Amino acid sequence: MRSIASRWRAGIKRAPFFGFAAALCACAALATKLPRYGGVLRIELREAALSPDPREWKPGTPEFASNEKLAALIFDRLVSLDEYGRFLPQLAVEWSHDPAFQRWVFKLRGGVTFSDGSALSGAEAEAALRPLLPAGMRASSSGMTLTLQSAAAAPDMLEQLASGRYFIFHDAGDGRLAGTGAFILTEASHSRTDGKPSFYTLQANNSCWAGRPFLDRVEITAGLPALKRLLDLELGQADVIELAPELVRRARQEDLRVWTSDPVTLFGLRLPDGDGAEQARLREAISLSLDRVTMAGVLLQRQAQPAAALLPEWLSGYASLFSIEPDSESERELRGTPKLSSAAAGEPMLLRVDAPGELAKLLGDRVALNARQKGINLQIAGKNQQTHLAPAAPAEVRLFVWRFTLLSAPAELAELQASLRVGDSAEPGGAKGELQQLYAKERKLLEDRRVAPLVLLPEYIGLSANIRDWMPARWGAWRLADAWLDTPAVSSAPPSETPSRTQRE
Amino acid sequence: MTFRTKLLLTVLLTILASVSVVAYGVTYYTKAAFEEMDGERTEALVSQFKKEYAQRGEEVVQQVKNIADSSVTLRMAIDLARPNADASIYFNDAKGTAQDHNLDFMQFVGSDGTLVSSLQYPARVGYKVDWLAQKKDWDNSPPFLKKEELPEGVELSLTVVRTLSGGNDKTLYVVGGRRLDQNFLSSLVLPSGMRALLYRNLEPGFIPSALTDASGNLPQADRFQPLIEQIQKQPHAMVRRIDWTMDAADAETFHEIPLMGPNNELLAVLLVGSSQRELVLLTRKIVRISAAVAGAALLIGLLMSLWISARITKPVEELAEGAREVATGRWDTRIDVRGTDEIGQLATAFNDMTRTLAAQKERLLQTERVAAWRELARRLAHELRNPLFPLQITVENLQRARQLEAKQFLEVFHESTATLKAELANLNTIVGRFSDFSKMPAPQFSRVNVNEALRNAVKLFEPQFTAVGKPTITTEFFLTEPLPEIDADPDLLHRAFQNLVLNALDAMPAGGTLTLRSAESKGGVRIEVSDTGKGLTPEECSRLFTPYYTTKQQGTGLGLAIVQSVVSDHHGNISVTSDEDRGTTFRIELPQRQAQRSSPPASDTPSPNTRPPLSTLAAASD
Repeated sequence: MRSIASRWRAGIKRAPFFGFAAALCACAALATKLPRYGGVLRIELREAALSPDPREWKPGTPEFASNEKLAALIFDRLVSLDEYGRFLPQLAVEWSHDPAFQRWVFKLRGGVTFSDGSALSGAEAEAALRPLLPAGMRASSSGMTLTLQSAAAAPDMLEQLASGRYFIFHDAGDGRLAGTGAFILTEASHSRTDGKPSFYTLQANNSCWAGRPFLDRVEITAGLPALKRLLDLELGQADVIELAPELVRRARQEDLRVWTSDPVTLFGLRLPDGDGAEQARLREAISLSLDRVTMAGVLLQRQAQPAAALLPEWLSGYASLFSIEPDSESERELRGTPKLSSAAAGEPMLLRVDAPGELAKLLGDRVALNARQKGINLQIAGKNQQTHLAPAAPAEVRLFVWRFTLLSAPAELAELQASLRVGDSAEPGGAKGELQQLYAKERKLLEDRRVAPLVLLPEYIGLSANIRDWMPARWGAWRLADAWLDTPAVSSAPPSETPSRTQRE
Repeated sequence: MTFRTKLLLTVLLTILASVSVVAYGVTYYTKAAFEEMDGERTEALVSQFKKEYAQRGEEVVQQVKNIADSSVTLRMAIDLARPNADASIYFNDAKGTAQDHNLDFMQFVGSDGTLVSSLQYPARVGYKVDWLAQKKDWDNSPPFLKKEELPEGVELSLTVVRTLSGGNDKTLYVVGGRRLDQNFLSSLVLPSGMRALLYRNLEPGFIPSALTDASGNLPQADRFQPLIEQIQKQPHAMVRRIDWTMDAADAETFHEIPLMGPNNELLAVLLVGSSQRELVLLTRKIVRISAAVAGAALLIGLLMSLWISARITKPVEELAEGAREVATGRWDTRIDVRGTDEIGQLATAFNDMTRTLAAQKERLLQTERVAAWRELARRLAHELRNPLFPLQITVENLQRARQLEAKQFLEVFHESTATLKAELANLNTIVGRFSDFSKMPAPQFSRVNVNEALRNAVKLFEPQFTAVGKPTITTEFFLTEPLPEIDADPDLLHRAFQNLVLNALDAMPAGGTLTLRSAESKGGVRIEVSDTGKGLTPEECSRLFTPYYTTKQQGTGLGLAIVQSVVSDHHGNISVTSDEDRGTTFRIELPQRQAQRSSPPASDTPSPNTRPPLSTLAAASD
């Protein structure tokens, strides 16, 4: 299989000019401004309550990404992936694997301590990863060596470890997790009631193995409404905000800095599982009725893109092979079928919108409208947060949202399948490569029409004008250790007795 | 029922009727006045609603016009009029515009009818809005009621459409509206006891949840089903009443006002409810007051009636009492005369009448007494003259015979003494009969078979019935057998029957038929003795039982008097009926049982002056 890293590297080789130009631009920027230490970075997020404990996160949920943003400030992973598709050593300085990609051995970085003073070791890494590893994979350690043994071949082990919840932390047993990251969580004020924001304060970790971050402190306010976040950014009361898609155009009209990730959020439909021909035709009819272009272009004001596949192009590499154009011949055939007409005229089907937010409701309304235009009576049912991503009940369609958080396409698809409880419909492997198998698996899933993707939505971040070196990953991971604030109040020199970040690197 | 009671009831009924009429009139006209007032109040509310409705429409018109006239909207129209314009950038404009102008519904629709932006149904953006093309001149159109489709259902909107041109013959439609729901109802200022309900007629038939009031919570909504269904069939204003409970105070009167859509379809019904509680309670209060007043009036009337009727009827009662006393023979009864009114005059006349009657009675008694003495004297003279004459002749013969020889004188003497003896005996007999009548014995009651007594009485005279040389008299018995025995003195009864039979024989000198009948009557027996003689005149019948009255040459006039005396002593009565030339019938009715078996104290000397018993009087009058 071609990993995501190799694909990105290949892409870069195909465009050396662009890389060179980017390097020139970066040098020019560095020449003009040097990073400064100090300052408080104020971040405002949508999700109301954050948890830095990776063991509590639910894959695919929007809050997973918010939690990951917080955790990335506190913890480190074994490896990381840069914009060029290269795996960079983090807490692991060396790694190797057997030819079957089942046994992976990592040599950990020496001299690293957690924020509570305990030293990083293989045992600590093993203890952190053990509850996070998927079934069929186990961890063992020896000294500063960590071994991960997978039951199946895991060629995408590094992609997995560089993303998701595979953070290395030290659990002292008092409910507080210590990390090796650039910041230390010093204060967390969780909202006890709905609608109230939560507050988190992180101080710079002066003893960070990678050097002290430029920022003195990061203050995160979570659970603010979209418009409030935007207004705070406009008024200078916030430096980094999660920007709602419907406000992106306004932010840009007001000359605010908007950073856009690759599509990281999928809105889709989970269609009922009935095996009969009637059910299959109904699923097909609903799928063919979906007007994804209008959803992305009008309802989301071109801030999203129609989704023909479950996995985005940047993750799978083959999404462009799927077409979003409806099969007109098949649609005409379906509309002329008396059985479909009778089914559609019967009891209304329920469309349950479990995904939070106005956007999901808007898409649900549009799906119902599209279906009704095709003669299918689809009625929107009430929201049920507790059944997030539960399988659709008989004769019930559910609109789900999935936030991509893994850099491994097979793992992401497997997680999505597991959450949607859609069976593995991959064709027999044979001699095909893993990418082809993944493609075939997703194609079969889409052809079964139990899952219908709608739109893919990137992550929009609004930035204040004085934040510098904002260099997040294209899939949405933030790197605030390298960011700094270009304000008169901050200093160009690091605090005394503290190694500078540039010196350590 | 006494006169006083009648008078009392009459007065009471009159008072009751008067009070009832007055109370009913007061209640009726008061209720009518209240109902009229309630109707005017409801009409005022309905009028207020119409004004509110029109005012809301004007507000929507103004707001939509302001939106259409704004530079932002004009820029939108111009931008959308350009070729290949990106309409998606206006996706959220409806929301902000509606918030700025306080509208519940807001839509921007492109020139081709494509929805550009929608507040109420953003997901519809991109779809066609067909109804806008059905009309050209929207700018002068008034607000209208419209079904507004929303993701969650259908709402009612007071909608206004305005247009503006963006150039290139492209028009932008601005569609704004306000929701017609419970908030609209809550904005209506209602007087106490009234409420406004809104039924949104968005689906056929009656849907209870479509009916709401200002609070949004309407219990017993299904009670409105007949009202709504009726107005769905005939959409015009009407008034209906709903009795929520058995208590009339819980009833409500609803004025139903249909709210029509642009195509004259019924989209909503406004129900203005007016509670009847205040009206009913007020009416009840008036009724209670009326009842109390009526009761008090009746009580006072009753007391007044008692006093008045007592005052009015007392002289009348005294008159009646006096009349009763007069009826019992107290001819000297007098009543007090009070006043000079009709009652006083009546009392005076009554006193005069009783005084006159007493005087006349006294005169009548004196006359009868004189007549009786005269009759007695006549009878005595008659009875005594017959034997006296022979005595006188005999004595004269004896005087003349003194001159005869001794032998002849002796013969004459013997003959004369014999005659004297006979005549003296005759005189003795006459005197004895009078004596017997005056000494009627007291009856000694015992069980007596009346039929047997009748047969025994007739048997004594049977030889005379068939005596040679005398006309034959036939006897006929019609006796009921068995006849109950009665308490009677058998000797007196026999004597009475004997007198009756003898009277009948005397009445039939030329022969005839003697008929005797007996039968059981109510509580006694009835005996009839009939002859076929020449009969009696009514005057004779009326005097027949008077002592010493007789129609016969040889009678003493005591026989029927004795019969009457016996019947009277047996507490019975006797009557006589007679048809001239056809005969006479005596009818005796005797009670079966006497109150006491011992005889009543007999009057030593029954005087003709004494008043006979009532029964005898009644019989005599017959």
